[in-house]
Amino acid sequence: MKPSVKIAAGALVCDECELVGDITIGARTVVHPKARIIAEDGPIYIGENNIIEELVQIVNKNPEGKSSSTQNVMIIGNNNVFEVGSYIEATKIGDHNMVEAKAKVGRQVELTSGCIIGGMCSVSSTETMPENTVICGSNCDRRVARERPPTQRLDVWCSYNIYLLKCNILFNGDKEL
Amino acid sequence: MATFIDVNLVKYICGCGKKKPVCKLYLCRHCLKIRCGDCVLHEVDTPYCPNCLENMPAAEAKLKRNRCSNCFDCPNCGHTLTTRATSHAVSNPEDPNKSTPKKMFYMACGFCRWTTRDVGIADKPAASGNWEDKDNPHQKRILSLLETYQQIAQKEKAEKERKKYVRRRSYLTYAAGMDKYGMVSVAAKRKGLLASPSTGGSKDEDTVISPVEPSDTVTTFEPLQDEIFTQELHLENMAGMSQRHAPPEFQPCEMTDLHPLHKHLLIRRSLRCKQCEHNLSKPEFNPISIKFKIQLIAMSHIPEIRIFTSPELNFDKECKVILTVCNPTSYNTNINLTTLEGDTQDDFSNSKITLPKDTIVVSRRDDAALYDVGSQEQEAQKDDPSVIAFRKANKVGFYVKVKPQVKEGDIQVSFMMKHDYHNTAIALTSENQEPQVVWLEQKVFVNLGPLKTQK
Repeated sequence: MKPSVKIAAGALVCDECELVGDITIGARTVVHPKARIIAEDGPIYIGENNIIEELVQIVNKNPEGKSSSTQNVMIIGNNNVFEVGSYIEATKIGDHNMVEAKAKVGRQVELTSGCIIGGMCSVSSTETMPENTVICGSNCDRRVARERPPTQRLDVWCSYNIYLLKCNILFNGDKEL
Repeated sequence: MATFIDVNLVKYICGCGKKKPVCKLYLCRHCLKIRCGDCVLHEVDTPYCPNCLENMPAAEAKLKRNRCSNCFDCPNCGHTLTTRATSHAVSNPEDPNKSTPKKMFYMACGFCRWTTRDVGIADKPAASGNWEDKDNPHQKRILSLLETYQQIAQKEKAEKERKKYVRRRSYLTYAAGMDKYGMVSVAAKRKGLLASPSTGGSKDEDTVISPVEPSDTVTTFEPLQDEIFTQELHLENMAGMSQRHAPPEFQPCEMTDLHPLHKHLLIRRSLRCKQCEHNLSKPEFNPISIKFKIQLIAMSHIPEIRIFTSPELNFDKECKVILTVCNPTSYNTNINLTTLEGDTQDDFSNSKITLPKDTIVVSRRDDAALYDVGSQEQEAQKDDPSVIAFRKANKVGFYVKVKPQVKEGDIQVSFMMKHDYHNTAIALTSENQEPQVVWLEQKVFVNLGPLKTQK
């Protein structure tokens, strides 16, 4: 890990994940093994209570065709869930969003809050998603839900964290920061 | 398992003349003919709900319009809805400061995350929900139409019966005119006496059927409002075509009008041979069970031909191809292969095939032998290595020679497979008797794929 990575107290970042560049990870955020967070173009700020699962790629990189660094800051809010294998390039992500397994979020997309990008759905347009947008299905059908998805409750989160900690102790390789 | 991959390469001919892969065929043990899904009688055993697996008699299902009363589908994506529980604080009527948590239930879709809350349906205090249905706006009209048509049907039935009677009487009246012996009039009188109550009854049936209001013709439409051209369209708020047509009685235009749909019932069916009316497939009554009482699929009775390796085919050259034959029965089976030459039906084959002349004996299926290395039975067979490529348990690989006759497209060959079949169905009735052995003939059509591409 490079010294430019800042991880707040209470966050859980597994050793096997790949962190490149200027990254700040907030409290109680969990980064699973084999997740990749690449801050190539500019810094990445990740808020609190996020869950970044295995094989997730969060990449802040230049749009194609531009070689010089634009120093674009990528900000991810709180209480977001990035499921296994999702790929995120979006620079503005709010709170309570959910990106399901293998979904792809393009660079020009802005997720506000409570948005759900369904499994295998790819969004690459230039737009700001209205709150509580749900995209799902093979045709990426859209819908606006009335309520935001139920948040990870704190007790669930705690038991989840304890479970991961146990795993860490068991496999004895990870650092808890 | 390989039987179910590339199923369309090897096909058998069905009794009705269609070519089908062996896994989609049945063998009628009484007619000893191959049957397919298109030439058997499909019978409804019982309708059941695929979600809660509740089964009901057909009459009850008809009353419920073939839908489950407890299970729902998502109106947004069609996935089954699941019930979710939440706790909801209810203020205590005795002490307004205290509130007691109460469990409330709503339904949510696990796939698209649609919930009943999205469209403003209130949560229910019971898990079963008692979700009320919307009232059909056309209920009255449908009922009046139904009533009228029932009356018409009744009237037509009565008329049919009367016609039968009238014809008979007219004969009698004709005969009475020709009466020479004074006998017919007596008969007519007797007949008339007998028939008089029914003629009296038929008069009542002449009651005038109350005509239905004819439906109004729509001649003019309201012009589109100007806003439609200026306002931005929010596609996410509009229901799609399939969402609209899922409930035909409401056809909601907007997402907010969607309502959970009762789940369609499925049907457990049995198959029956049209010729001998014996069952070919009959599942157990209980929808939870996946077992069959009777299951005569061809795969467990007829030797199965498969292509062993993808062959290298060259135009107008004799090429060796390995086919395998697998014996699913518990008796050793003799197989004779003959060409279909002179068969006028055969427009499938486009290449010459040379088949092994000798009878191939395929050993019986023995589940235990699969785990037994070097079974004795295998050595018992003395095979001509130029005919038999290999033997393994109940499977034999044999060589055929194919001479492709077309330059383009897939090389297709056909042949007749004659095999003996131990019919256990008849042996069961008389004890201690050897099962009846019959020879069955199957026409087999094999698609060997295209020629080897020339470099």
